[in-house]
Amino acid sequence: MLFPVLCLVIAGGTVLTACQGGAPLEGGGPTATENRQEQPNRKQPASLDALRTRYASLKRQLAQQSPDNTYIVVDTARNVLVVKRKSNVLLTAIASTGSGTILDNPDRPGTQWVFDTPRGEFTIQSRLTNPVWVKPDWAFLEEGQKVPKDPAERLEPGILGEYALGFGKGYFIHGTLYTRLLGKNVTHGCIRLNDQDLRTVHRLAMIGTPVMIF
Amino acid sequence: MLHAAPSASNEKGDERESLQEATRLLEEEIKLASRPQIYLLLDLSEPILYIKGRGIELHRLPVLQWKTSGGGFLSGLFRLRGRPEVDRPKAEPSKDPSLPTDLEPINLQDMPAEYLLLFEPGLLLVVAPPLHEQPWLWARSRLREWWLRFASWTGVASPADQVAGPRLRLTLTGEAARSLAWTVTDGMPLLIGRTVPL
Repeated sequence: MLFPVLCLVIAGGTVLTACQGGAPLEGGGPTATENRQEQPNRKQPASLDALRTRYASLKRQLAQQSPDNTYIVVDTARNVLVVKRKSNVLLTAIASTGSGTILDNPDRPGTQWVFDTPRGEFTIQSRLTNPVWVKPDWAFLEEGQKVPKDPAERLEPGILGEYALGFGKGYFIHGTLYTRLLGKNVTHGCIRLNDQDLRTVHRLAMIGTPVMIF
Repeated sequence: MLHAAPSASNEKGDERESLQEATRLLEEEIKLASRPQIYLLLDLSEPILYIKGRGIELHRLPVLQWKTSGGGFLSGLFRLRGRPEVDRPKAEPSKDPSLPTDLEPINLQDMPAEYLLLFEPGLLLVVAPPLHEQPWLWARSRLREWWLRFASWTGVASPADQVAGPRLRLTLTGEAARSLAWTVTDGMPLLIGRTVPL
C-alpha cells in the first residue's frame, strides 16, 4: 500500500502548502473506449470536398487545444525541462526528477513512500520566494534520524533556492544545492533546477501556466 | 509483370477512406487533447509513436516495424490496463545519521526493452527490439506472445491476462522501447490509426 509523503514549504514564516508524493497523478477520468475495426458506414457517404473541409476544420480545432501562452514540458526520462510559447522554445534546462525508489514506513508496516515525479498535465498553483523546506517524516527516516515532535525542528531554510513553483499535490519546481546531480533521477518527486534556470522559469511561469510531465 | 493504372474512381475511393479514417482519429484526438492528460498516438502512416498532451507533440518514438494479427485493420482508442513492472530499489533507513543512504535511482536503462502491454478494449501490444539488435529479447518476446495466446486459448491465463482481440507487434529500438515503458501510466490512452489522408 502506498501513502502520501508529507513535506511542507513555508514562505515568509507561514505554512503555505503541504507536499505529498507517492500516488501517481493522471488528469481526467476514464472515458468510454472505442475501437473501430472496419465498422460498416450506414450513413450516406459525404462528398470528398465535404470530407476535406471537415478534416481541415478538425485540424484547426486540434491546434486550438494547445496552450495560448507559455507552458512547461518536463521529460522525466531524460531529466530535461523546456519552457515553450507556441512552438518557440524559451528555455531548455537540465533538471533532476524523481528517483523512483521506495522507502518503507517503519511506523506503518506494509506502507511505503514511492519517490516518483507525477506524470500528466498540471498547472502552476503557487510562486514562492525564498521558500523554507519543512522536512517531511521520510527525510528524517531516510537519514536514520528520529522524526522530531517540535515542528520548528523540521525547518530547513536555504536549500530550495530562491523560488519554488508549486504544481499541485505539494510538488514543486525549485532550486538545489546539489547541482552536480542535475540530469539525474535523484529527487523525491519534485523537479530541481540550477539557480539561473530557476530564475528564468519563475519569470516566465505564472499561476495557471500548464506543466506537462511525461 | 504489368499493373493496370488505378482508375480515378478507385483513387477517389481510397482518398475517401483515408480521409474518413484521419477524420475519425482527429475527432478522437480532439477529445483527448481537451483534457489535462498525456496520451499516445501511434500513427501507422509514418510510422511514429507520439507522446502528446493538448495536441502538442512532446516526444516521438520512431517505429521500425509494425504488424497486426488476430483482427481486422486496427484503428481507434484504447486504454492501458497496467504499465510494465519496474524493479524499484528500496531505501533502507540509515543506522548511522552521519552516513546518509546512498541509493542508486532508477533510470531509463532500468526499463525493459521487451514487454507486453494489455489495453482495453482487448488489444495486446507486443514491444520488442529488432532481431539484429537484441536476438535474445526478440526471441523471448515471440515466446511470451505465443504463450499468452496459448494460455488465453486454453483458459490457463488468469482473467487479468486474458487476451481477446487483435495483437499489434511494434519493433522499436531498445532505447525507444525503454522510453515507452518509462512513459506509460495506468489507464493511459492510446490512439491508433493513420492520421494523414492520401
